[in-house]
Amino acid sequence: MEEGVITIVEEEGILHKHPIVIEGLPDVGLVGTIAASYIVEKMGYKEIGYVESDLFPPVMVIHEGKLENPFKIYGDEGVVVVLSEVAIPPNAVYPLAGALADWFNGIDAKLVISITGLPAENRMDIEKPEVFAVGNNEEARRVLKDKQMELMEEGFIAGHYAMMLRECYKRNLNAISLLAQCFPVYPDPGAAASTIESLEKFLKLGIDVGELMEKAEEIKLKARDLMRQTALSAPEMQKSAEQDLPIMYR
Amino acid sequence: MEMERRIIRATWGYDGNLEPLCEVEDKEDEILVTFDLPRVRKENVEINTTEDTVEVMAKMSDAICWERWGSIQKKITFQAFRKQIRLPEPIDQEKTSATFKNGILRINLPKVRKKVFIPIE
Repeated sequence: MEEGVITIVEEEGILHKHPIVIEGLPDVGLVGTIAASYIVEKMGYKEIGYVESDLFPPVMVIHEGKLENPFKIYGDEGVVVVLSEVAIPPNAVYPLAGALADWFNGIDAKLVISITGLPAENRMDIEKPEVFAVGNNEEARRVLKDKQMELMEEGFIAGHYAMMLRECYKRNLNAISLLAQCFPVYPDPGAAASTIESLEKFLKLGIDVGELMEKAEEIKLKARDLMRQTALSAPEMQKSAEQDLPIMYR
Repeated sequence: MEMERRIIRATWGYDGNLEPLCEVEDKEDEILVTFDLPRVRKENVEINTTEDTVEVMAKMSDAICWERWGSIQKKITFQAFRKQIRLPEPIDQEKTSATFKNGILRINLPKVRKKVFIPIE
């Protein structure tokens, strides 16, 4: 492993046909992680690779006695799903976004969709979280308008998904972020369900979120520690900037 | 307030209690504390306060059991959440209120401190 470098290790013989990429990395409400995990489970995607770096915590996961990498890539020919079971350290955000964008470019990705949350102060009173979207270029914004997504018009975005939009822009890759209203520091399966329903506009996976909602309490219990780790790194990620008002001069 | 200060370190104990995720927000006139209590019903939540602490005990509707879990490598069962928080300043215990919805407990704790208007001469 090269020092300070992010490496994407892909299994040999994987064929990509202009895939759509779904990213679900730990962030507010673990919206992306919960949504991406559920998509992988429901679609039965196989593990096709993993991401490694000495910038990540020295952690491996044991599932049913089997040693696994916590930062995995799943998919098939047309879809790639990237998800992590550990929080992303702030010093890994820039190199990770760059390395993933390079890899997405290399596999000729059609569209990169980052799933995440948008902290809502009154989330407790919201029955069905709304989903907002951000596109990284004209083409991506046109797609969002065509799909009648509610666009985030003003404000700051911070964290991995913000850098992902930028790094994809630099490589002429179309990228969007789907942000569901969520609890900032509690795992939010309801917000994850809203993003999966919105994702259906871009990718006809036909996933029913009923089971996700039925298992919501179990998911919240299992995700407690990842939520805690993620929340602890939030200040360094400048997540509070998302609550700031941008300077208005127009 | 930064998220780092808002989340209390979650953990677990051999006594069958889990520490819930919680968030403390220091508002102008009150301290707002929320707890994430999955698998808990309103009638099984008990809240106790002193002038500068709030304690929550919440029994789950059914216990959770993990087999050969983590570093302890044996069966462990949790039946309840329990957490005590020390508050940043004294509260008026008589005026506290709480709501519980979809597994989230919100406790409003008005501060004792009173505002005094200062006229400008």
